[in-house]
Amino acid sequence: MWYHKPVINEELLQSLPNLKIVANSGVGIDHLDLKLLSSYGVKVSNTPFVVSTDTADLGMALMLASSRRLVEGYQMAVSPDTEYFPADWLGAEVSGATLGIVGMGNIGYKVAERAKAFEMKILYHNRNQRNKEEESSVGAIYCKKIDDLLRQSDFVLLSVNLTPQTCRLIGKRELELMKPTATLINISRGLVVDQDALVEALQNRVIKAAALDVTYPEPLPRDHPLLQLRNVVITPHIGSATKKTRRLMMENMTDSIEAGLAGLPVPNEVL
Amino acid sequence: MFMSKAFSLLKPVRLKMSGQSNEADRFIHPAAASRGQHCRRSVDCERRYKTHRGSAGRRPTSAPQIKVMAEEELPGVLILDIGGTHGVLENLAALLKKHFHLITMREFLENKKELKKKIQSVFVFECRPTIDRELLESLPNLKVIGNSGVGVDHLDLKMISKFGVKVTNTPRAVADPTADIGMALMLASARRLVEGCQIAVSPETKHFAVDWLGVELTGATLGIIGMGSIGYKVARRATAFDMRILYHNRNRRRKEEEEAVGAHYCEKMEDLLQQSDFVMLVVNLTPETHKLIGKKELELMKPTATLINISRGAVIDQDALVEALQNKVIRAAALDVTYPEPLPRDHPLLKLNNIIITPHIGTATVQALHMMAEEAIANMLAVLNGQPIPSEVFPK
Repeated sequence: MWYHKPVINEELLQSLPNLKIVANSGVGIDHLDLKLLSSYGVKVSNTPFVVSTDTADLGMALMLASSRRLVEGYQMAVSPDTEYFPADWLGAEVSGATLGIVGMGNIGYKVAERAKAFEMKILYHNRNQRNKEEESSVGAIYCKKIDDLLRQSDFVLLSVNLTPQTCRLIGKRELELMKPTATLINISRGLVVDQDALVEALQNRVIKAAALDVTYPEPLPRDHPLLQLRNVVITPHIGSATKKTRRLMMENMTDSIEAGLAGLPVPNEVL
Repeated sequence: MFMSKAFSLLKPVRLKMSGQSNEADRFIHPAAASRGQHCRRSVDCERRYKTHRGSAGRRPTSAPQIKVMAEEELPGVLILDIGGTHGVLENLAALLKKHFHLITMREFLENKKELKKKIQSVFVFECRPTIDRELLESLPNLKVIGNSGVGVDHLDLKMISKFGVKVTNTPRAVADPTADIGMALMLASARRLVEGCQIAVSPETKHFAVDWLGVELTGATLGIIGMGSIGYKVARRATAFDMRILYHNRNRRRKEEEEAVGAHYCEKMEDLLQQSDFVMLVVNLTPETHKLIGKKELELMKPTATLINISRGAVIDQDALVEALQNKVIRAAALDVTYPEPLPRDHPLLKLNNIIITPHIGTATVQALHMMAEEAIANMLAVLNGQPIPSEVFPK
């Protein structure tokens, strides 16, 4: 399964009596009905580890691009109307700022490792607290309540998976808890954010900016308000879009498929 | 707080001053406090310029007693203008006013006779005002030119020195934000962020292509040319991305410094160019580094490599770069600096699709500009008060 296609539904499953395994590209499996697949005795695998570094890299890229106004700057540098570069055109510093990571799994942790080198203060919120060595290795401080993280962060980065619990995790209330100078970065799934609430928050400067690799749907309808806002950077879900990682994903998937067909334990099986 | 983070290396010192609050106090050189003691600089000495060794150990004169002064009694500082297209930003002018009698170029030209003796310093902001012979001749009491920023390639150091005027820059304030922009450009170029943005918002986009790919940073090789303060901070950041780091520099860094960031020294720049997936230029502009990267160097690079420039436009032979990008001799370039700035609107670099250009924003943050002004003020005050100067620049 590549990029959520083909769509796995009851009809398809009924027409494939010998189907043993569905190998998913990428780590997110929110588009798969695990209960349904299990009831047909079909195993599911994903590719959780290989996507981590590229996705973390993109999270950092979005944070830096947004904070330093890279896309706007590029447009100014190449615009036919530009005559000089104004001295009062400024961005905000990433180094030394506070980063709040919501979801400290593989990807979130890799983001923390990178952010630490920028001397960022790192807060995190997670279902479970990480152990002391893991925390001190990246200098991350646990926020049991997400509110505490939201109030203190200059950058809030979402790296949770999409589940019924994380759907619309960030809504109007959460956005209002954030600093008016804060930036929201989403590298998880579009549905983790209440998009309408986000549009309103950005229009009214409740938060400063957003940088999204994911939206709902993808792509957004061409007349969606998010596409008109100046303080938004959107990328077309490219978290794992590098040659090396795609190749590794494919290798993972073929390994899982081979094991599944041979009746052996399936690497990266999703239960 | 942003204000103090980059200056923790300099001990905060309370001089016997009454009156004004002094953020500039924080940047008083440690030697000023330890009267009569030898004080080795504990800061990360970048030796890009010949920083005079003696300046760290000079015996200071007694700590000055500065009384609250009326504005006119404060030493005069010349600036181009406040606000406007090229003037000093208002909040920075306010910082200057705490320590100096601020005189704009217009005020000076309208009243040369009275003002020329008052001007003891010039605050150069975004390379303005231009320091030429005529200006220097008209300022008999000029002691110091305090540059905002670390690059001084726009100043004729030899000529200025002949007038007995010192020049200072702001290496500490620029290091973090410039290293950040280097990383931002490298990431944006590798992951095709600007292109991706355009696709995400384009009215023509119907779906996101599955075979649209960038190149990975993690595990790739970064070659840093110029391992001063900024280059070193880039290395620190890049190491956290699991990059393999090579560097080329006039002098090799100490073993501990290399190991701390996992950097391997390349005595020959050619070795670095041949092995790197990303080449980042972090040198200062001097006659030696002018057109450091030309046709030959670009051809030594991998065809899959990216060139990133956060130093000065003239470090690259721009025509050679255009050709290399057009013929895919290298994969892409990301430039915060060009020559000139801005480029003429019909310049070929603006037409290429494998290039990102940003409008020299290496230090374009609220925090950085503030810190640069503070660092420049501390330097200028040190000169005027006869104290050890934190970052003086000397002609070769």
